[in-house]
Amino acid sequence: MNYSLQKTGTAQKTSPWAAMRKLWPLIVQEKKIMSVALTAVVANAVLNLTAPRLIAHAIDTYIIPRDFRGLLVSGALVLGIYLLALVTSYMQTRLMGGVGQRVLYRLRNQIFHKLQELPVAFFNQNKAGDLISRINNDTEKINQFFSQALVQFVGNLFMMGGAAIFLVSLNVRLGAATLAPALILLVITNVLSPWVKRKNLASSQSLGGMSSEIQESLNNFKVIIAFNRRDYFKTRFQEVNENNYKAAIGAGVANNTFTPIYGLASNAGQIIVLAYGIALIAAGNFTVGLLISFLSYANNFYSPLRQLAALWANFQTALASWDRVHDILVLENNLQTIASAATVSDDAIVEFKNVHFKYPDGKEVLHDINLRLEKGKTYALVGPTGGGKTTTASLMARLYDPTTGVVFLNGTDIRAYTPAERTRKIGFILQEPVMFTGTVRENILYGNEDYAAHSNEELEAVIREANLERLLNRFDKGLETKLTAGGDAVSLGQKQLIAFMRAVLRRPELLILDEATANIDTVTEQLLDDILRNLPAGTTKVIIAHRLNTIENADEIFFVNAGTVERAGSMEHAIDMLMHHHRQS
Amino acid sequence: MTTPPQQRKPSLFGLLKPYGGLIVPLVLLAVAANALTLWLPRLLSHGIDGFIAGTSLHAVLWEFGIASIAIFIFTYLQSIVQTYASERVARDMRNDLSAKISTHSFAEVQAITPAKLLTNLTGDVDAIKNFVSQAVVNIVSSAFLILGASFLLISIDWKLGLAVLTIVPIIGGTFYLILGRVRALFLKTREIIDWLNKVINESILGAALIRVLNSQKLEHEKFAQANASARDIGISILKLFSAMIPIITFVANLATLIILTLGGKFVIGGAMTIGDFASFNSYLMILIFPILVIGFMSNVIAQAQASYDRVAGVLAMPARQDTGTIVEPLRGSIQMQNVTLTYGQKTALKDVSLAIEPGTRTAIIGPTAAGKTQLLSLLIGLIQPAAGEIQYDRRNINEYQKEHLYKQIGLVFQDSIIFNMTLRENIAFNTQVTEHDLQKAIATAELSDFIASLSEGLDTIVSERGTSLSGGQKQRIMLARALAINPKILLLDDFTARVDASTEKKILDNVAKNYPGLTLVSVTQKIVSVQEYDQIIVLMEGEIIARGRHEELLNTSPEYVQIYDSQQSTNTYEL
Repeated sequence: MNYSLQKTGTAQKTSPWAAMRKLWPLIVQEKKIMSVALTAVVANAVLNLTAPRLIAHAIDTYIIPRDFRGLLVSGALVLGIYLLALVTSYMQTRLMGGVGQRVLYRLRNQIFHKLQELPVAFFNQNKAGDLISRINNDTEKINQFFSQALVQFVGNLFMMGGAAIFLVSLNVRLGAATLAPALILLVITNVLSPWVKRKNLASSQSLGGMSSEIQESLNNFKVIIAFNRRDYFKTRFQEVNENNYKAAIGAGVANNTFTPIYGLASNAGQIIVLAYGIALIAAGNFTVGLLISFLSYANNFYSPLRQLAALWANFQTALASWDRVHDILVLENNLQTIASAATVSDDAIVEFKNVHFKYPDGKEVLHDINLRLEKGKTYALVGPTGGGKTTTASLMARLYDPTTGVVFLNGTDIRAYTPAERTRKIGFILQEPVMFTGTVRENILYGNEDYAAHSNEELEAVIREANLERLLNRFDKGLETKLTAGGDAVSLGQKQLIAFMRAVLRRPELLILDEATANIDTVTEQLLDDILRNLPAGTTKVIIAHRLNTIENADEIFFVNAGTVERAGSMEHAIDMLMHHHRQS
Repeated sequence: MTTPPQQRKPSLFGLLKPYGGLIVPLVLLAVAANALTLWLPRLLSHGIDGFIAGTSLHAVLWEFGIASIAIFIFTYLQSIVQTYASERVARDMRNDLSAKISTHSFAEVQAITPAKLLTNLTGDVDAIKNFVSQAVVNIVSSAFLILGASFLLISIDWKLGLAVLTIVPIIGGTFYLILGRVRALFLKTREIIDWLNKVINESILGAALIRVLNSQKLEHEKFAQANASARDIGISILKLFSAMIPIITFVANLATLIILTLGGKFVIGGAMTIGDFASFNSYLMILIFPILVIGFMSNVIAQAQASYDRVAGVLAMPARQDTGTIVEPLRGSIQMQNVTLTYGQKTALKDVSLAIEPGTRTAIIGPTAAGKTQLLSLLIGLIQPAAGEIQYDRRNINEYQKEHLYKQIGLVFQDSIIFNMTLRENIAFNTQVTEHDLQKAIATAELSDFIASLSEGLDTIVSERGTSLSGGQKQRIMLARALAINPKILLLDDFTARVDASTEKKILDNVAKNYPGLTLVSVTQKIVSVQEYDQIIVLMEGEIIARGRHEELLNTSPEYVQIYDSQQSTNTYEL
């Protein structure tokens, strides 16, 4: 299955409404708050429209007739309105902002959940930096729209609506003429929006690309220094930075086209009022007083419209980001748990039946594999590098599904197990040990809840019991030794020790070691052999290694080469094949 | 962080100095567009006055039309200049940052953490960009309007003018109080973004393990925790802003009230004309709008300032000076004299001395966590010793020009580091590699068959973290990369761990044949591959406990014998 998110620059035809519908589940619980907030927005707009009317009224009725007492009364009234506006204005920002923050929170969680749902293949096909950018930068753009733009959007729409009604009710023909430029704007906006969104999408993509580049370079900084390529970081970076610059300028110019056009339309509206209004007056159908208030209503209509121009660009940015987020959310894990499963009545823990496998980008790497692993035995997979050993092991743990054929676990199609059931049975020590920032304790107990409540002393007792004590002693502060994910404070060998302890403490039925001890010294390795031997009798072990001493105790040896798996009769036979097979990789 | 405490707070506005060529026209365009916009209402009232007086409207309509088009052109130009200015600031700042980062040592980058640098280069720079694109123009034109309106207010009636202007210090005080707090919160927000980056990053790098252990729930929890902190701090910031903006609006509104009541009183008392009263009101409108704009912009400025503090912190870190000057070719001898290395409290290497002659082969052997990898990192200068000295050809490593040194030393890391680019670029990572050297390196690392099997050969793009390659293939690519620079000295860190025995033997023979005179230092676990070496050094818990040739060590070092015995059982197979 193809999980690649790299589609080039074609903006999907997500209409604003469709996007809103998809966002709806994240917002639905905010319905009440949002309706309160929107009420506050409307109330605020009404209050802001009322105060000037009151002041005008006060001037006409009190100041000009010189009534100071009356003036004070209406002053108090205006103060009251301002106080109310203080409350509504606080509420609209506070409530909508809160909605924005919570939607952002849920959206990020949702994307992260989706990431966790997707199989390993997804991560092989996408770059870490781009994913981070989607989770952080794109969701932030959506948030900005929610927390800042939406309030103004609604407030402005309301003001415009009110002004438009006044305009038309004062004089239908003049009103319609005044609003005509807005109609043209609507058309222009419709035409320009897809272009603006496309530009924003390109800009988001190049930001993701830049983020990937930074991610890769910083994580591999060692090589950059040792190979004298400090310039590499700089030049590679400058290149993506330049691309990002160009894309961002494209988006910036696109986003900024609305404002001048809306401004022009606004002025066109005014000039229409003036010219047409005066013509009407000349024809005796209108008065100067009405013309003046008409002008101010036209202003009330067009000045929020001008603000909408900026908000609309903001909306297009949010839509483009939504597309990128949505790309992830629509992906489905193809490693589903199946309901009805084929079974073989057999005592094998793992069985491969006619298994073929190919990675999405390439050639078939496993051809028609049939093999059978019995409970409690030790198996070794040997063969030249690139022959398919890791892929075979990955299929046993269902990191991937075979292209065709079936893998059975305990006699049942492995696809019928839930991930929890499957992973409880299988321990897999990966070729590249994975560490998380934290202590040795946290890393050993990672994903293991059995000992989560144990004190360090109790845990040490468990470790002693499992014969792992001497491995723990390799860490100067024991369980409390600090580790970082990418850090170099502990060696690769030590990381492999942690991965080993992590897997053994989970007591799996099937333990797969994929070159799990490659960087551990041979003396310690003998210790690991002892530990493996002392695992419960029912534990099946699958060992992939290049060192023959690690596999000499295997009950059976499989020779994996060029995508085929052959059973080697004896150790000598295996070595013979290793030495004399023509390498295919 | 290493930012010196005494350092002056870096000024956001100072940042703009080099961009005068864009900022000045930007401000001029904005002021021109604003001035014209202010002029339009006057045109309209002239039009009406003129109509009443019976003059022709044509002139006014023309003027209005031309002014509108001029405004359109000015704002359009302004938006373009603004985009260019802000993006250029962002681009240059990113380039400065990357240039700075590229001078850092490996240890420094690890200490700052890649997650933080990623936020610096993306989110922080974006915040600064917003400052340039929005705040600059708005602040300047707002300040222009506020000053002009204040001047007009005072000139009409100084008593009422001053009364109205009392709001300005109140608003200033509110800004000061709230923005001070917000700035601290914004700094914290950025730290939380670093944290989110880290959690996402680790969950991506550890994707396979997480699926093997079915520990997604744990990752969710970690993420939810960071994400909830981000939400909570977002809400704290929101609370401050949602208080600040209404307060400022309210105070500005109070000014209207002052005019209405106090001004009304003056008019009633006859101290002021109704005409002046009316213009007072209209100028107040001009005064209030820019104050609100500044309120909104304060948000942008606070974020940008917090980000700029962080970016400036990185930019202000002292540049590492390469004081080395020696550019002579290496002969290949290496000495370590009484070298001690510490990581915090922990001593990784204690008083290590060793001497390696040109053209010889040396193995370093010892248990896991003995300090072998650190020793190699010291040799290539990735880290600096706490005490002691490292010499090449009897001269201190720091006397050599680093670049020159790296040209002659090939290092194969233990962990496979593959870049997301073509195989050719991965192997000829240093661009000075010639085609001949490249082919020789590929042949030596036994990669020719593999590359020939790829439909696009050397131009095949390998994926990030090398996930499309097997462990052994990655390691051989790493070796080819080191050999391609035609090194005088080759440092191997557990190179053969993932390569099968027969390939390993071929590769080592190839190296001896194709790179004669090479000084080889190999950290390894396998005695059998190094039995013939000129020197074997046994390292244990950071100390050298034995050294010599294989036969000597068998007689003198019980630890060596123990290691040897542990490999004895299958020794015969490991040819």
